[in-house]
Amino acid sequence: MLAFRSEEHVDWWLAARRLGRGTSFPLEQAWRLAQAWYHDRLDPSWRRKTPEEAEALFGGIGLTGDFWRLRPSL
Amino acid sequence: MNDSDVRVHLMERFLADGRPPSVAEAAAGLDAPEDDVAAAYRRLQDAHVIVLAPGTLDVWMANPLSAVPTPFPVETEHGTFYGNCIWDALGIPAMLGCDGTVAASCADCGDPLPVRVRNGELRNGDGLAHFAVPAARWWDNIGHT
Repeated sequence: MLAFRSEEHVDWWLAARRLGRGTSFPLEQAWRLAQAWYHDRLDPSWRRKTPEEAEALFGGIGLTGDFWRLRPSL
Repeated sequence: MNDSDVRVHLMERFLADGRPPSVAEAAAGLDAPEDDVAAAYRRLQDAHVIVLAPGTLDVWMANPLSAVPTPFPVETEHGTFYGNCIWDALGIPAMLGCDGTVAASCADCGDPLPVRVRNGELRNGDGLAHFAVPAARWWDNIGHT
């Protein structure tokens, strides 16, 4: 996951590498993702999240849709 | 000693020393046989908790921390660390519960894009994060997301 100044810069970077667009979102949202994902990482009781838990966490900060799906579609 | 003990020790040493412990160092720190720690490192990798450098038992990533320099250095009161990506870089102050400054730059033009975390809030984070790979495929190649 990389950082960019703007959507234009994302497009230029992707075009130069002939890559398709993934998904982009404001760094403020990335910060909320980082907080939710990593705040308890030093807790000895930490364990890896299940796909269901991870999807719920993504959804809780507005990261929804197929891009963020970890479970196979039914 | 269980895998959680090894994980916590690894993270604590990584933060204290600025680099992850080798199997031998972790074994000494945990007063455990090296073979047991090596097996734990492999299980932690299989569980996608850490990433080992290919073909070795050297820790490459113990997310959010990277053992090798990246374009995402993070200055904190506990030291300077490297995140594996912008998400992980922001994850370092999130994990430590402290302020931090990510000396990021735009992946396209290289212009500085510093991101500051102060008192649990993002300051001057005007840029964007971009994921190239959908979540379900991150672990196909965790070095490229």
